[in-house]
Amino acid sequence: MQQAKTVLDRGFLEMRWRCLSLAADLDRVARCPGGQELLESDARVQKLRKAIGVLLEPCENRAERVELIFSDMTPPPARR
Amino acid sequence: MKHIDPHIHCISRTTDDYLFMQRCGVVAVTEPAFWAGFDRSSAASFYDYFRHLTDCEPARAAKFGIQHYSWLCVNAKEAENVDLSRQVLKIIPEFLDRPTVLGLGEIGLNKNTINEITIFEEHVDLAARTNQLILVHTPHLDDKHKGTSIITSILKNDKRIKPERVLIDHCEEHTIRMARENGFWAGLTIYHISKCTPQRGADILEKYGPERIMVNSAADWGESSPSSMIDTCLEYMRRGHSEAEATEIFFNNPCRFFGQSPKWRLRPIE
Repeated sequence: MQQAKTVLDRGFLEMRWRCLSLAADLDRVARCPGGQELLESDARVQKLRKAIGVLLEPCENRAERVELIFSDMTPPPARR
Repeated sequence: MKHIDPHIHCISRTTDDYLFMQRCGVVAVTEPAFWAGFDRSSAASFYDYFRHLTDCEPARAAKFGIQHYSWLCVNAKEAENVDLSRQVLKIIPEFLDRPTVLGLGEIGLNKNTINEITIFEEHVDLAARTNQLILVHTPHLDDKHKGTSIITSILKNDKRIKPERVLIDHCEEHTIRMARENGFWAGLTIYHISKCTPQRGADILEKYGPERIMVNSAADWGESSPSSMIDTCLEYMRRGHSEAEATEIFFNNPCRFFGQSPKWRLRPIE
């Protein structure tokens, strides 16, 4: 098992650019006409906000929880 | 180190990709039947596709020292057309005895509709009646969790199906337990836009261990690459895992699953 600091040291620059990239993505949408309103109303962006919230929580299964936020949890179709 | 790519669509890849795989140590691939990027107009189109998978592609791969195996079916997307699917299901048995056909795949669901479920069940029935291995496509993105749940329920409820003869593919963090805890094999697909990255693939390997799991590229006509499976192996070893541990996952496990077919010619490295 690797040391936590070793893993963080190795991954930090990539984590940094991924965060920056997402920030720039949101800025790009916001700069367009109606962009800010869309960011506040679009259901996909709402899920994104919820997912970002998971990243800030102290837990061990963030990836699984984010996957579930973006999952259709409605029941299966009724059989004929 | 020798590698096997358990899921790649060579029909959509260039000859340079075969050369690349040979350079990387890939000695065998398996190619499930899939959606071509457009809906076919007739069962005859599928007939020729199956000829390509069972005649042309094995010969093309052999030029690079790569064994090529295939799986046949109507993919989940075109399964929405029930009439066409049933016509194709009638021609599949003619190909099942071909020397490189391992079973039925990639059968499964796309948008989790009733029509897709109907055709999935008909494929499962054909596999059970003809004693074929099964390779399952699970849906993408938002539909994956629900689709994987439906698929595993259907398979568990059919007592003719042995879970160890089924590979549930495209598993991710939220679906891998559904596959493994029900006794199925699990496939991780390294396809960064819609599935896993090499880093997340290596995370799942570390978290869930090497039992009944394999890694594939599913490289096709989309933004994908045969290098993604290799990149995952490199990421896994970069974290301190030995070549012997990597060989278990990237060579031996595919040999163990596919080796349930008498047509598979490679054996695990002990």
